[in-house]
Amino acid sequence: MELYELNLHILIEGLKAKKFSPAEIFQSCKKRIDQCEENIHAFITRTDDKPQSIENPNGLLAGIPTVLKDNLCTKGIRTTAASKILGNWKPPYNATAWEKLRSAGAVLMGKVNMDEFAMGNTCGNSAFGPTHNPNDISRVPGGSSGGSAAAVSAGYVPFSLGSDTGGSIRQPASFCGVYGFKPTYGMVSRYGLISYGSSLDQIGPFARTVQDLQLIMSIISGHDPMDSSSFRNKDHDFTHSEDVSIKGKRIAVVKEFRDFTLDAPISDAIKRTIKILEDEGAIITEVSLPVVAKYAVACYYALAMSEAHTNLERYDGVRLGYTVKDAAGIKEMFERVRSYGFGAEVKARIIAGTCLTEPSRCEEYYVAATKVRTLIAQEFSRAFGETDFILQPVTPSLPGKIGENDEDALKGYEADLYTLPVNLAGLPGLSFFTGYSGNLPVGLQLIGPRWSDVSMLDTGVILERHLGSPKIANGGVK
Amino acid sequence: MAELTFTPVIGIEIHIRLKSDSKLFCSCSTNTDAPANTNICPVCMGLPGTLPHLNHRIVEQGMLAGFALNCGIRHKSLFFRKSYFYPDLPKGHQVSQCDLPITTSGYIEVHDSEGKLKKIRVHHLHLEEDVGSLHHSASDGRLEGAATSYVDYNRSGTPLAEIVSEPDVSSAKEAVEYVMTLRRRVIYSGASDVELEKGMMRFDANVSMKCSDGRWGKKVEVKNMNSFKALEHAIEFEIKRQKKIMLQGGEVKQETRHWNDAKGITSSSRVKESYRKFIVEPDLPPLYISQEWIDRVASRMPEMPDVRANRYVNDWEIPQEVADVLTDDKNLADYFESCVSSGANPVRAAHWVRTEVLRVLNEKGQKIADFSIKPEVLAGLVKRVDEGKLSTTQGKEVFDYMCANNSGIDDSVKALGITEGGIAGNALNDIIASVIAANPDVLDEIKSGRDKKGKKLKFLQGLVMKETKGQAKPQEVAEAIAEAVK
Amino acid sequence: MKLTSEEVNEIALESRLLLNEQELAGAVRYINTFLDKLDCFRELDLKDVEPFSFAEALECPLREDKVIPFPDNEAILHESEHVDGSYFKVPRIMEE
Repeated sequence: MELYELNLHILIEGLKAKKFSPAEIFQSCKKRIDQCEENIHAFITRTDDKPQSIENPNGLLAGIPTVLKDNLCTKGIRTTAASKILGNWKPPYNATAWEKLRSAGAVLMGKVNMDEFAMGNTCGNSAFGPTHNPNDISRVPGGSSGGSAAAVSAGYVPFSLGSDTGGSIRQPASFCGVYGFKPTYGMVSRYGLISYGSSLDQIGPFARTVQDLQLIMSIISGHDPMDSSSFRNKDHDFTHSEDVSIKGKRIAVVKEFRDFTLDAPISDAIKRTIKILEDEGAIITEVSLPVVAKYAVACYYALAMSEAHTNLERYDGVRLGYTVKDAAGIKEMFERVRSYGFGAEVKARIIAGTCLTEPSRCEEYYVAATKVRTLIAQEFSRAFGETDFILQPVTPSLPGKIGENDEDALKGYEADLYTLPVNLAGLPGLSFFTGYSGNLPVGLQLIGPRWSDVSMLDTGVILERHLGSPKIANGGVK
Repeated sequence: MAELTFTPVIGIEIHIRLKSDSKLFCSCSTNTDAPANTNICPVCMGLPGTLPHLNHRIVEQGMLAGFALNCGIRHKSLFFRKSYFYPDLPKGHQVSQCDLPITTSGYIEVHDSEGKLKKIRVHHLHLEEDVGSLHHSASDGRLEGAATSYVDYNRSGTPLAEIVSEPDVSSAKEAVEYVMTLRRRVIYSGASDVELEKGMMRFDANVSMKCSDGRWGKKVEVKNMNSFKALEHAIEFEIKRQKKIMLQGGEVKQETRHWNDAKGITSSSRVKESYRKFIVEPDLPPLYISQEWIDRVASRMPEMPDVRANRYVNDWEIPQEVADVLTDDKNLADYFESCVSSGANPVRAAHWVRTEVLRVLNEKGQKIADFSIKPEVLAGLVKRVDEGKLSTTQGKEVFDYMCANNSGIDDSVKALGITEGGIAGNALNDIIASVIAANPDVLDEIKSGRDKKGKKLKFLQGLVMKETKGQAKPQEVAEAIAEAVK
Repeated sequence: MKLTSEEVNEIALESRLLLNEQELAGAVRYINTFLDKLDCFRELDLKDVEPFSFAEALECPLREDKVIPFPDNEAILHESEHVDGSYFKVPRIMEE
């Protein structure tokens, strides 16, 4: 077995026992990257040209390689958000989540691909071209954190970070056959995460076991004074050692989702998972989320675009990134920079967001959406009075072929129905592996009330025990 | 047909820079005089991924400034994003409390054209971040005609209070009194130093005209006034301009106009303003202010200048005009009150501060805080003059000597050779004796009875007065000499 | 259609975006389809519903008024192609 195939916990134990060295792990992962990257194209920027110095040789992650979604700021290392508009921008500071990993000794192998400014669910909407699914390179890895999911799935690194605004961690985790966790809003500092929809964005980890997610969460979670939406006084022991059980826990399926069409492997996975949960003593129930089922998609996109267009106003070519130097006037400069710098999907969302917040339409659309969001949050709140967790699909279908759905972006939006309500209500969501359908992995999702992150991951550990862990994808290598 | 009369309807928006060490949402220094682009960081430069973090002290400064304008404080206020593209605005939107501000309404009192007190209602005060500053390459340093501009972001993110009045102002004169009174009160509150020369107070005015024939002209927003004079002249210009249009039967266009200080005119702004609805700033939770916090900050509010001046007039019978001068500067008023509490007669002390202290400060270009004579010392000097130990002239000589030499009262009196309370009795007799002794022939002449007209007697009196440096009473000197030559 | 292509173009310009014909046609389709989807909000009675602000009562945290200079303002300036000396130099702001 090669070192790159080992999961995070095994690597940490091996390092502790001096079975191998950080340099050997680095070389193994680098070799794996060299082997597959031509097929997968997960990277935007590689930083593994030479072994990086380990910030903290005694840290929990000392010598463990990782990659970051390219919307996480890395000091002195190009950060693009997969957009032309950021040019060769090298941030003068580190994102808090990366700073925490770095301080724990993690080693950065590079910055990975995503949909431009996290707008998309295929990882094909990148100025740097599409990333391919390591399980089947003709298929999408999902998005927007497609590079982060693919890198873990292909064995580039044992874990990675992504961000989730409407499913951008959970959906690619499911498509690539890894675990992906979207924490409660406010659990992980957003400082240094290039904003898409600020009130929806949350950073989270990808790994090949739930236990590894727990370890990473224990490092990146916690209050950060630099993020005013980060919560204080919340202690979460992700790596506690007590034996966990789901006996007596209530786990619900959503009534309104019952009749929705799902790919057969996904509905089979739900049946299998329910059986396991029942065998473990959980009580399977049903909750009703009528507002979520009917209005969440519209509400989500209205809000995400309204926030996004203001988050993207700063890209004007004056202070950083792509620019033009021969404009006759400032307006011309702004127009040329933004028209060239942003991709089509981003432009469409900027225009939509601007439109929704125009004085004449603001009440009807933007303000209405903020109120619908209140109803959605209340509906979840009521539902979690009746159940501990909700079990549901991540997506209605398995990953599609690259380029398949490019014509009609709005059609793709409907596929996000199972993931985006979680962001509207600020809830945690775990995308977990259930098995394979042919060579394609099938994932499902657990969602829970705010701050149920620890017990949700505990439940994930039990599910993993029964469903099995994913194997490393072949990465297009025969 | 009766002659048409016009009533100006004016609302004023004021931006005041609040006093703090660090910026509104980041820890950069607020020193805008620093070399260009040195007080900047990822947050105030709006770099991708950065988030705002609100400054506690600036919230309190906003509360204090609100109290100074008789405003209430809201228990919950919100920040919004106000979008527009401009190179001095790093994020492409300004973070501002425009839609749910920290204060409720208030008012400022001014004198109307008949000298009666009138309330100018303040709609609200809200907190917001300032933008960077622009320097233009045009030869006259102005925006128009400049092929390039230079941006310094040191000012980006420094804290501002925007104060919006109701359209209660009816003349340029009222406008100026409104902003001057407001400025004085805000300085008193400690919320800002409002140094005008540093551009810490900027004005926009909404001007429209109501005609006696029932016509009501459209509202014109006049921007870019940075001094009291500019505000006054811009409003006067706009009133005249709109009146002329309406007199000719024309219609005033609703627009934004820019005040051109050099030319003394307003001109239609070519920059198109976009009026975007503001979205809630998603990176800042609501600002909650408890009653307990409000009370705590309110207890720090000092007496406001007009209240103080009235107290001087009512309690101490100080003339209104003097009271106004003394309370114009809070530190000067504090100085004066220290004099009084050290025992000086209030009216006399007021007079001394008003004339002598202010004269010296003006001559030296000093502030009262730097003045060398401490208030209790000045009180001592005032008392001595009051008690007749020093004449008024002597008092002023001593005061000047103290200012020039940084010395105490006694040392100054001594150095000036002044005998307090004047020269009389034995001291006077000694001087007389020595004068007579030095002039035996004069004495002979008087004794011989030849000094029929008393000329020689007057001569001796003159000599004695000179010896006493005028510190003896002439009547006493005359009597004592008459006695001495008997 | 809720918005004509002129209106969409106007909004694009307000966002400092210049669209070619094809992009504009795409944007018009996109916006109108999207606005149609938002019509569903009208089915809900939102009159007495509070706009959502944060997922739970969260107070704006406050920072002490203390100056902590950013150590490397040069690194910020270094990222701009418009830096001239210590300033950012930009082209004509007022339109002729």
